[in-house]
Amino acid sequence: MNFKGTLPTLILEALESESDHGYRIAQRIKERSRGVLDFKEGTLYPALHKLESDGMVESYNTVESGRTRRYYKITASGSAMLARDRAEWHTLSQAVTMILGEVS
Amino acid sequence: MTLENWLTLATRRLSTSAAAQVRTEIREHYDAALAVALAGGATHAEARRLVLNNLGDPRTANCDYRRVLLTSQEARVLREGAREADTVCSRPWIKPVAFALYLLILAASAGFALTGRVPYAIDALCAAFGLSPFLAMIFVPINTPARGFLFRCARWIAMSTAPLLILGPDAWRYSWLLLSCLAPLAVTEITRASLRRKLPIKAWPRHLYL
Repeated sequence: MNFKGTLPTLILEALESESDHGYRIAQRIKERSRGVLDFKEGTLYPALHKLESDGMVESYNTVESGRTRRYYKITASGSAMLARDRAEWHTLSQAVTMILGEVS
Repeated sequence: MTLENWLTLATRRLSTSAAAQVRTEIREHYDAALAVALAGGATHAEARRLVLNNLGDPRTANCDYRRVLLTSQEARVLREGAREADTVCSRPWIKPVAFALYLLILAASAGFALTGRVPYAIDALCAAFGLSPFLAMIFVPINTPARGFLFRCARWIAMSTAPLLILGPDAWRYSWLLLSCLAPLAVTEITRASLRRKLPIKAWPRHLYL
């Protein structure tokens, strides 16, 4: 399913509970959407870089099983943006559901 | 397609440091995804194919990366800007000489006017007008995004109107010359705009405000 534009919000949502690395962020989004949001993982990192340069997430390196991994964690600005996006999404989805519900 | 081919396409025209960053993070991702696929019972060949397929089209990734990371052209503009700024800052005589030259042009204009050569006086005045943003660049503290924006607007107005004023009715005839002089500056300006968008304001070097 095409969900371009919502990927940054989904990334912030995936990072809200705990910091994580790129691969697990992608898997978490896919699992939580039960495979509906099956995006190409190569597009995840540019979105993460954009969020990082906007100050929405921070990254740090950590060693895991002898390997250096880059972890991402949500910032206060990121949490605020996520709350705003979530509220907007609820309003939008309610409006669309009202319209589509009327048609059917 | 191999991972190396994928990375070559995905890092095309990125700066050296950005390309290295992409290579590291995609290799990390690839290793993690490969381990999961192998643990799931896939053969090495199947796992590699699956992981590369999940990464998607490297050209699309390259477009996305070029929107957020520095390209080789942007890195070059950043380097050249830093070198130019160093050149100006490390030579204390540049400021007084630039100011003296500016005063000299104004004095020449006044001299022409007093001796009755009005067209020359106007030309010299127009040249001074065209050069004024470059003088402002050295003397005015342009260190906020708002001031930088105002300065760039003023510079473009001065740079494009001064030659038109000097050439007068002949401006149309020499438009090819004006356009070919301004085109490289416009390309640099567009690259700098892209740099301002990509870098956080805190990371802007002073010359990026200009």
